[in-house]
Formats: sequence, C-alpha cells, structure tokens
Amino acid sequence: MSSNVYFKHEGPWSDANDPLLCSDTGDWRTKRPVVDEENCIVCGFCAIYCPIQVVQMKGETHFEADLDFCKGCGICAKECPKNAISMVSEGEFVK
Amino acid sequence: MTEKKKAKLTPVLDYLKHEDPFAKGVAFCPGCGLELLLRFIPQVMGNDIVITGTPSCSAPVLLGQNNQSWHKLSYFGTLMTGAAANATGLARYYKKAGIDNTVVCFNGDGTAADIGFGNLSGAAERNEPFIYICYDNEGYMNTGVQKSGTTPYGATTTTTPFGAASKGKNLRRMNLALKMAMHKIPYAATATLSDLGDLAKKLLKAKEMKEKGFCFLHVFAPCPTGWGAAPDNTIEICRRAVKTNYFPLWEAENGKIRMTKTIKKPKPVKTYTELMKKFKFMDEEDHKILQDDVDYEYCILGGLSVLEAECQLPLPADE
Ligand SMILES: Cc1ncc(C[n+]2csc(CCOP(=O)(O)OP(=O)(O)O)c2C)c(N)n1
Ligand code: SF4
Ligand code: SF4
Ligand code: SF4
Repeated sequence: MSSNVYFKHEGPWSDANDPLLCSDTGDWRTKRPVVDEENCIVCGFCAIYCPIQVVQMKGETHFEADLDFCKGCGICAKECPKNAISMVSEGEFVK
Repeated sequence: MTEKKKAKLTPVLDYLKHEDPFAKGVAFCPGCGLELLLRFIPQVMGNDIVITGTPSCSAPVLLGQNNQSWHKLSYFGTLMTGAAANATGLARYYKKAGIDNTVVCFNGDGTAADIGFGNLSGAAERNEPFIYICYDNEGYMNTGVQKSGTTPYGATTTTTPFGAASKGKNLRRMNLALKMAMHKIPYAATATLSDLGDLAKKLLKAKEMKEKGFCFLHVFAPCPTGWGAAPDNTIEICRRAVKTNYFPLWEAENGKIRMTKTIKKPKPVKTYTELMKKFKFMDEEDHKILQDDVDYEYCILGGLSVLEAECQLPLPADE
C-alpha cells in the first residue's frame, strides 16, 4: 500500500517500535459469520461496514472475516445484499 | 461449473488508501459505531495525522490503556475542558516549526457539545488550522450513559430515567453542527456511517480546507450498548436517521449550507426510534414532539441554505 509515515514516539506505557499487541477479541464472540461462497457477489459491503475492519477479499472469489478478532456483532451479515453471510452459534463449532 | 455473478466492488473501498493503524483486537463493544469511525479516518486521511482527545470511550484505545493494544498514530491526551485549546497549541506549534501536519481533535459529544464547548467555539472563532471531529453517541457513554446536550427528546439515560418522576429526557437536543457552521468557519459538515462515501469525501475535504482554518465534522455514531440496540443494527440505525431527516447530511463552507443528500419522502421518525430501547417508553404524544422537532430543525436548515445563497457573506479578501 502507500507509504505511511509514523511518528516515532513513546506512548504512556509503550514504545512505538514495539509490535502492536492485540486483545483476543475473537473470544468475545457467541456467533460467527459464515460466508456462502457461491452466493457472494464480491461487492465488499461486509468489508467496509465491519467495525473492526477484519473482513477481507479471499482470492477474488469471496469475502471472509478474520475469526481471530471478529467480535461477532453481525453487521456484515445484516448489510450483505445477497444474505450470503449467516451468523452461526459458536456452539456448533465446539468439538 | 457456471461462472458466478459478480457485482462491482463498492467505490468506498477506493477511499481506503492507507493502512489501518489500529491493532486488530481493541476494547470497543461489538457493533460500536465509534470503532468503525476511528478505523476509517486514518485509512482515508492517511496515517500522518496527530489525534488529540479526551477521557471518553475512545480514550482506552487511543491512550493504549487496553493492555497496550492500541495504534501507531501520534496521540495526545487532554482534559475534557480544554480539548480544542490543546489542539490549538499543537496546530500552532506545527505551523511555527514549518511541519506539515494534520491535527485531528477527536471527541465525544459530551466534550464537544457540553464540557469543552467554550474553547471549541473559541478555536472556531479564531479560525485555528485544525480539524475537530465530534463523534455523536448522544450521551456520556464511558461513564455509564448520562444525558448530554445532544441526547434527543424522549431518550432514557441513567440521568433521565423512566419512572414516576421522569419520562426520559424532556428537553430537545441542541444542533451542534449548525451552531458550528454559524461560526462561519471554512468547513463544517455532518456525516454518518451508513454513507461512508460521503464521510470519506468530507474527511478529505476537511484535510484540504484546514489550510484555510478551522474545520468541524459532526459524525453520528450509534452506541449499541448505551442505546439498547442490537449490535448488528448500527448501520441500519444510521441509515434510518438519515432517511427520517433525524440526522440530515449537509456541509457548509463559510456558513453556506448545502445538503449532500436529500431525502425525497422522509420516513416518520418512529421508524428510527423503534430500533432502540432508549426510546421504548415514548408514547404517541412524545413521538409527535420529537417529530415536530425534527421537522422544525430540517425546515430551519433548508431555510438557511436558501438565505445564505441570497445574502452574500462579506468575506475578507484573500491575501
Ligand atoms: C471535566 C471532566 N468532567 C467529567 C469527567 C468524567 N468523564 C470521563 S469520560 C466522560 C464521558 C465522556 O463523554 P463523551 O465525551 O460524550 O464521550 P463518550 O464517553 O460518549 O465516548 C466523563 C464525563 C472528566 N474526565 N472531566
Ligand atoms: S456483502 Fe455479501 S455479497 Fe457482498 S462481498 Fe460481502 S459476503 Fe459477498
Ligand atoms: S460479525 Fe461483526 S466483527 Fe465479525 S466480521 Fe462481521 S461485522 Fe466484522
Ligand atoms: S459504550 Fe457505546 S460508544 Fe462506548 S465502546 Fe461501547 S458501544 Fe462504543
């Protein structure tokens, strides 16, 4: 992407040169977005409206959320014009 | 296999030219409008901005108190009482030092409309060269949902509860954006998250216009936690706020108002209020009061845009 200029600075309790730490927000989720790849028309609405910006294009064929950080708010599913995203209970994925 | 249908990618993606400087997992509630706004701004305006802000829902992330999961931007934390005064100092310093920089003073409505309004108005009057963005979640959310000057009529908050002595807020909300536009600053605008293309254009315009002086952006950003709304409804709430004229989208250069989106047949404000529990105690009469207020505000806005076009503002000549 384009060049980004970061201001080298120290924050209250971190160093700008340190890698960013990320909280495990994927753990908050009770439902996860599951994309129906066949139905996805690759419009990108899910990506622009996701508050944490974790929905990304996968190989030009569909969009997919990064489940490590997706909070499960359901906005992507609601805004999808093709209803290609369903929110599925996390319980379904427990083995 | 048949080739599947593809739509055109939304043009909003073209505005996202820069990296998202925020860590992926940060402490905002699921569906928080503020989070989308915060991540959107640097992706559109670039990462070469300095954000200043106050104690609020944005502060835990902007100040990195959330287990160091924060962002790579420069940030300067200030008090609620002096947000715009601090930004003034920063902007003046950069100007004096000859550093090309964009100072973004980013605050909630509690700071912008109430506690820090005096110095916000002062900075606008002095035409200080920075961008002030108010994210409007219609209350003091971080301290537990107290009412602010922009909380609408009928809304329940912890300081305007529903009970024997109180039926939610019984005062109208103030129109902060209009008030700022009336300072005749180079640029003032309203925006919201359902219309991201419009928001992106206004952000870029503000970045350009700040060369001329003070820019103010009022962004309607729902708070599902404080409003009692489903997290997945955040964008729909914004959309309906626009479609009911509850939150009209406009911009004003030197006070000259221009609607950036006009709604042909505005929906009743009830189609907006029904999405949130904070309005659930409102009866027909209350809805009429809120509807009348929305209509009145919109009428004034329309009237002003016509008047401003007719009456020329005598501007000092450019040097
Ligand atoms: C002068 C002052 N009064 C009160 C507080 C306590 N306080 C901390 S955060 C906050 C809420 C801020 O509300 P707002 O600016 O609307 O941001 P939001 O929490 O809604 O994001 C308040 C009142 C303070 N920090 N300073
Ligand atoms: S909104 Fe729906 S159709 Fe559009 S890219 Fe996302 S999943 Fe595909
Ligand atoms: S559920 Fe919410 S957080 Fe998860 S990908 Fe969809 S919009 Fe993003
Ligand atoms: S309380 Fe509201 S504004 Fe604050 S983080 Fe949660 S949803 Fe966002």
